[in-house]
Amino acid sequence: MITEHRLPWAEFESLAAGAGGLDAIGSLRNGQRSLHTMLLHMISRLATGADPEAAAFRDGWELLGRLQLEGAHDWLLDLPHLGGWAHYGLAGIEDGNVKGLSHFAVMAAAAAIRSGTPFELGVPVRDGRVVLPGLGFLEVTTDSRWIRLRCDGDTVNVGGHFEADRRLLVPDDGSGPPVPHWSGTPLVRAVADGLTWQVLLEAEYPYLDYRLPPMPAQWAAGALEKWRKRIQLAWEVLIRHHSWAAVPMANAVSVVVPLVAERKNDRISATSPAAFGAIATSWPPDPVIMAETMVHEFQHVKLGALMSLIPLTEPSDKLEYAPWRLDPRPADALLHGIYAHLGIALFWGAQQEIETDPDDILRARVQYARWRSVIEPTTRALMQAGCLTEDGRRFADRLCVRAAELTAVPVPGTALSMAAEAALDHRLTWQLRHQAIDVGATADLASAYRRGEPGPGPELPRSWTDRRDVRPVEAGLRSRLLAMRYLTPGRYRKKVEKADHADGLLLAGKSKKAIRAYRDRIISSLDPQPAAWIGLALALNQVPDEPFKNIFATQLALIFDIHGHLGSEDGLRDPIHLARWLT
Amino acid sequence: MNSDGKDLRTIIPDLREIPLAELAKLGGSPLAQSITLYRKRLQDQRVPRNSFQAGT
Repeated sequence: MITEHRLPWAEFESLAAGAGGLDAIGSLRNGQRSLHTMLLHMISRLATGADPEAAAFRDGWELLGRLQLEGAHDWLLDLPHLGGWAHYGLAGIEDGNVKGLSHFAVMAAAAAIRSGTPFELGVPVRDGRVVLPGLGFLEVTTDSRWIRLRCDGDTVNVGGHFEADRRLLVPDDGSGPPVPHWSGTPLVRAVADGLTWQVLLEAEYPYLDYRLPPMPAQWAAGALEKWRKRIQLAWEVLIRHHSWAAVPMANAVSVVVPLVAERKNDRISATSPAAFGAIATSWPPDPVIMAETMVHEFQHVKLGALMSLIPLTEPSDKLEYAPWRLDPRPADALLHGIYAHLGIALFWGAQQEIETDPDDILRARVQYARWRSVIEPTTRALMQAGCLTEDGRRFADRLCVRAAELTAVPVPGTALSMAAEAALDHRLTWQLRHQAIDVGATADLASAYRRGEPGPGPELPRSWTDRRDVRPVEAGLRSRLLAMRYLTPGRYRKKVEKADHADGLLLAGKSKKAIRAYRDRIISSLDPQPAAWIGLALALNQVPDEPFKNIFATQLALIFDIHGHLGSEDGLRDPIHLARWLT
Repeated sequence: MNSDGKDLRTIIPDLREIPLAELAKLGGSPLAQSITLYRKRLQDQRVPRNSFQAGT
């Protein structure tokens, strides 16, 4: 009799509040073990032909069955590589493509070598290597695409070419002597305050590539040592100041995939729900940022595992605003983003108490203020969109409670206003890009305005979210400076002089002069000036009791579109006058 | 326990104690239902990647 996994309510609630202790992680892991077993079973039912790829899979599947009887298969079921590969493998074979199925044979072989279970298997050779996922790779000299691995429990015979002590075929923690024909996957053993985080640095495993650019296949001189040190220092930050996240993370995350960002000052990081326990990240500029990235991505790891057990969202075509992305997001991605930013807010909330450098204090405070403030409204928007399951609504309710607790914590006014300004700039940029408005209705409004008729009152034209960029607007230098101002204040101080006249006034807090400068630019240019419109809205927002700040903050796209219909008549081009008419 | 007094049910069958060789004999079981459900979810949602990009 098969029963389904169950999740205790306390663990669900703890996860929904952004945390999730070792019990919850244990439940998620147990679910992943069954999910991976189910995926392999699904593949096994389809891998039936005479093709060597399918045959190799079946041999691996048989070996996994033997490992299970010996109690030695959980290591493989827990390996992020397995989940990453199994989703690709299943998608491929369901399309009738068996290519890559033989990779499972090396997975099973790796598990058997690790546990000392005797076996004999034909396994694939790729580029002169037999990859043993989670352990490393054997270098072989053969023209054949296949080679036989035979293990008697102690020694591994590699196609009759050489033998190796299976106990030496382990990841490379940097402490052991070289092993002939063997390259262990780099292993980092970070230790702080008596607690250890062991993590593999998996730079070239194809099923963990996240469709992002990975590291070059060869580690550059010194690069590996730099990563080891950065992980060690990040672990010290995590375990000393963020143990709520660090302890479960160390229990769940066993692989870091180093990525290369396209540009020097960019950072990228990623996870996949398919690969529980793996986090990909580009080189983090400092240990605190690496720690933040781990907390952020670990939120995705937890939520991905939870959502594979308990659906929290319904399939839907609806797209919503995400305060951290410039593209509209579907429900499941939005929930992921909300949950990740709850983790980020918790991280910076603790970090602001321990930083000592003024720039670091500012960064922590503004990050905390910015991300705690988006959780509840974005969650409410998701709930109102009707895209959550019943369990999803329970999860969202608990998220909102946690967000309200964070929002009640006092933060200095300077940090609050910097956070609010960056958030408004983001929202307005998104609004101009993705809020589509009925063209005929805006043209009618422009005609009414031109004829001097009364404003439309509360009945405004229909609008909707469009995945495409509706209006050409870039998140330009001003947006970057608004973020740089608190993320890297030293760099901001060097770059702010490159801002144009109006943006310079805005950033200096000279609001009324900035309003004049943006207004003049809009009136004098016959080309659309979306950046000036956003700047005008930001400058108006800086002025206490400014009567038009609200309509610019909420209806910028509408005012912009009506203005676009007005043509070149001087008397009609004042954006403030138009806003007054609409109010 | 949740507000209804129960732990949350998941859509994944607990296969941890079932010998792999036995799985093939469980065609008409909740495992088959879970497989159908999971396959549909993969078709609907694929396997998304959660990616983050920041630059200043």
